[in-house]
Amino acid sequence: MISIDKVGMNYQLDGEQVKVLSDLSLTIEQGESLAIVGPSGSGKTTLLLLLAALESPSVGSIAIKGQDLSALSQDQLADLRRDNMGIIFQSFHLIPSLDALSNVALPMEIAGRNNARSIATAMIKSVGLEHRMKHYPLQLSGGEQQRVAIARALAHSPSLLLADEPTGNLDASTGSRISDLLFDLHREMNTTLVLVTHDEQLAQRCQRVVRMDGGRLVEEHAHHGE
Amino acid sequence: MENKARFLLSFAWHDLRASGRQLWVFCACLMLGVTLVTASAAMHGLLSNSLLDDTRALMGGDIEVSANQPLPDDSLEWMAASGQVSLTRELNTMLGTQNGDFLLVELLSTDENYPLYGELVLSETGSLQDLTGFVNGFWGVLIDPVLAERLSIDPGDNVSIGTLMMEVRGLVLQQPDRRLSANWRGAPVLISDAGLEATGLMGPVSRIDYEYKVRTDVAPQSWKNEFYQAFPGSEWEVRSFADRSERIAERLGQIASGLLIVAFSTLFIGGLGVFNSIHTYLQSKLKTMATLKAVGMRQGALIAVYCLQVGLLAGLSGLVGVLAGGLLTGVGAQLVAQEVPLDDSFGPFLMAAVVAWCFGLLTSFTFALPALGKALSVNAAVLFRGDSHGSGQLSFPWRLLTVLLALLLGALILMAVPDLRFGLAFLAVVLFCLAFFEGIVRALKKLAVMLESTAWLQRRVITRLAIANLHRPGAPLRTALLSLGTSLTLLVACTLVVTALLRLINTTVPDESPALVLYDVFPDQLEKVEALVSDYASTERIALSPIVRARVTRINGQSLSEMDFPDSDWEEMARDEHKLSYRSGNIDSVKMVEGSWWPQSAEATSSNDQVYIVMEDREANQMNLKPGDTLRFSGAGHEVEGILSGIYSQKGLQTRFWFEAIMSDGALDSFINRYVGTAYMSDEDALNAQQALAKIAPNVISVRTANIVDSARELLAKASSGLAVIASISLLTSLLVLASVMAAGRRQQIYDASVLYALGTRISVIKAAIRREYSILALITALFSMCLGTTIALLLLEFRLKLESTDLVWLGLVTAIGASSLIFAIGASYLFRHLKVSPSILLRDNEA
Repeated sequence: MISIDKVGMNYQLDGEQVKVLSDLSLTIEQGESLAIVGPSGSGKTTLLLLLAALESPSVGSIAIKGQDLSALSQDQLADLRRDNMGIIFQSFHLIPSLDALSNVALPMEIAGRNNARSIATAMIKSVGLEHRMKHYPLQLSGGEQQRVAIARALAHSPSLLLADEPTGNLDASTGSRISDLLFDLHREMNTTLVLVTHDEQLAQRCQRVVRMDGGRLVEEHAHHGE
Repeated sequence: MENKARFLLSFAWHDLRASGRQLWVFCACLMLGVTLVTASAAMHGLLSNSLLDDTRALMGGDIEVSANQPLPDDSLEWMAASGQVSLTRELNTMLGTQNGDFLLVELLSTDENYPLYGELVLSETGSLQDLTGFVNGFWGVLIDPVLAERLSIDPGDNVSIGTLMMEVRGLVLQQPDRRLSANWRGAPVLISDAGLEATGLMGPVSRIDYEYKVRTDVAPQSWKNEFYQAFPGSEWEVRSFADRSERIAERLGQIASGLLIVAFSTLFIGGLGVFNSIHTYLQSKLKTMATLKAVGMRQGALIAVYCLQVGLLAGLSGLVGVLAGGLLTGVGAQLVAQEVPLDDSFGPFLMAAVVAWCFGLLTSFTFALPALGKALSVNAAVLFRGDSHGSGQLSFPWRLLTVLLALLLGALILMAVPDLRFGLAFLAVVLFCLAFFEGIVRALKKLAVMLESTAWLQRRVITRLAIANLHRPGAPLRTALLSLGTSLTLLVACTLVVTALLRLINTTVPDESPALVLYDVFPDQLEKVEALVSDYASTERIALSPIVRARVTRINGQSLSEMDFPDSDWEEMARDEHKLSYRSGNIDSVKMVEGSWWPQSAEATSSNDQVYIVMEDREANQMNLKPGDTLRFSGAGHEVEGILSGIYSQKGLQTRFWFEAIMSDGALDSFINRYVGTAYMSDEDALNAQQALAKIAPNVISVRTANIVDSARELLAKASSGLAVIASISLLTSLLVLASVMAAGRRQQIYDASVLYALGTRISVIKAAIRREYSILALITALFSMCLGTTIALLLLEFRLKLESTDLVWLGLVTAIGASSLIFAIGASYLFRHLKVSPSILLRDNEA
């Protein structure tokens, strides 16, 4: 599904080049769940940005379903995110001026789909927020907001789900429920899940765990996960 | 595609509705600018329609030939062969009521062809000939309603004109060639030919204007050329309705241009408010934009959403502005209609509304684009990295688009302003101001940085904080100088001009001017007029001087008819009559600017004596004259030639007679058939003298300065009110811009204040620093606007109006400092009310 081949990423900072990723190669299969762990500054977030096609590598290539991302224009990359990816952020990042239902329907409405609202309604029900469809993000708790964000990320049945510390801003109990929901839906919809987290317990729920340090892949192990 | 478009529109609307309240400054700034543009353009349209659409009727014909003697029969036959001719005779005189009030009027006697265009509408039934005929021992007159109201006269009352009592037989409700107010030319009084002759005012030396109007199918310019060829060397003035249109259009254009420029300045200032307001709003939308990109919205769609929001706001605000402008136009029209009957059609307002609305839209986008471009370049990566406090750089396409829109706006302004010179000057001044203030801002910021590191400031925390805030990113210095500085400059300039004029009217004119000014005194009346006026106890002095009308026929020996006229203005000027007089103790208080007066002893008592001439600067410059040139004047069958010894300037608004040339004593003796004079006495005695003069010399026109001062006060009050409205709107816009700057910087100020508070700084110290910062801003803004505003006002007053006003500079300073301090005090108080120090924001990544 995803092929990362000798990818490196550099930034310019005050005239100096900073290496964030070096010679990174990785393959992720369709339907697989992968956790990326590592200390702060190890390059986890940068890798996630590259997978989300929100940044381009300085060297190397990334291909999703055989399509080299560097060959696509900005609009084509936007279309790719819209149709094939779902992103779950640590800070939820719901649109404040849209209610929960409209937030969930957002990617499908951007795509111009006729049935956006009906699919979104079904998705909101599946995350247990049927009674909160017309509420705005400010009116929802942190856990509820993250559930809406998960619904938004999955409503359009993407083939790739990217999650950046999905439980990072939640208390333990809520975080646990959110994790359960996330993995249940991942299994149900057979999406490929790439998860960045500091939470080792959460990481262990994935089929594979890769550890990063200093911009490099330093460890990888597989286990049965979910 | 349809779904996508509908979604974008729906999203733009919902997003705007949820958080658009922040944009009230955007809306208010734009609305005020559009209001002024609408009102200015609409007034211009209404006036143009009223005065220009039917210039033929306004002039009374296609062609007008003016003379001060009846035209010879051959010329009358020539004119009659080309069309229909109508003669109107005009004579200025005093009209007296039974209460003893007198007023300057213009007697008009017309023939049976009058009017050639339009319709004469009278309050009574009956023809003009019947109503002005001799009935029951009285000749009849028809008067203007303004005159009737002013002197409290009704039909049936008797009035004195010349040696006769006449009966007012009706009011002139509509006179097509006299649509301008009675106040401007002397109220018209219609009288028959025989009635005019019966008044005894028509003598050999009477000043009667013979106006021959011609209605013809021949093209005006061709008619004029053929007439000049048929009657070369004639002294008659010939004007076509096209000439009249051009002059009126030029005057109207200048006034409209002035008003529109003030309106565009307000729109420009409002544009700064638009920029700040949109910038603040979009900063709060960065995460939304990044999220939309992350979930797959294309850049084009994102641009469409936020451009739609700007367009929606601009469109709605512009609409409100147009409606407010309509109301303002209504008020303005009411005031102007007292002087000029206005066209009441909707067309001019509609056109002005559309133009103003479009300008509002264009201005919004021009100022919003840079903020849009920066915000829309936000990288979705900020959602992961948690840094959304700043947006990206403005890319080249956005810069280019902004510049192109600005150029388009400039081009449209040039098209909209009637006088192109005004438009170009305005754009040049705007560019200069932008560059000038940018230079000042950079210099001040550098100075602030230098001051911060001085030892003196190290121990003064409050002042140091205040000065540090001057050069921090997002500091209001630039915007305050540009917006508030511009409107304060306008305020200072208006204050100085109005004060100078008020002083002239209330103090200088009453103190220095004669109480009574006399016109049309015949030579044989000199003694008795002088004796009558001198008889009053309060009379300090009376001065009488001849007034002679003559034309320049030769310059340095070359006949004017042999000269190549550079343009039609020169040709018209060459045919103009000039008013000449003697020095008579410098009766008109002129000031020599080049050359000098002649020796005191020089008198042209014989034809061999050298004649000296001094000439008014405007006339001399028009004819490219300089001291040493010789001039020959011709008038009433006489000629005189002399050497130009000097050029003088008039005293501007205080000039009474506007003599265009003054000659050495004796030079004009053979020309003289009337005198003008001034009498310095109390106003009460002037009133009595006016009544007494009407009895012994009914042809003498006497004008009390007190009346002129009252009229001028009235006019100045109206003009001041108009200026006050415009200056207030401009100032209000600047206040809003300042509010937008404060709103933009509020988040940063709260953050800074929270950090300082957490580190142990007292709230009182934080507020004191803000107060000091605003005081410095107020002082800087006041100083610059005082300098600019005073310079503009003094240039206008000293050079154009010739009023010495350098002693009013202190007033400019007081106005600037007062207004600036008040505005920044309001701003500081607004900020203090919203400044909630919140250290918790330092611990959480929340919006403040």
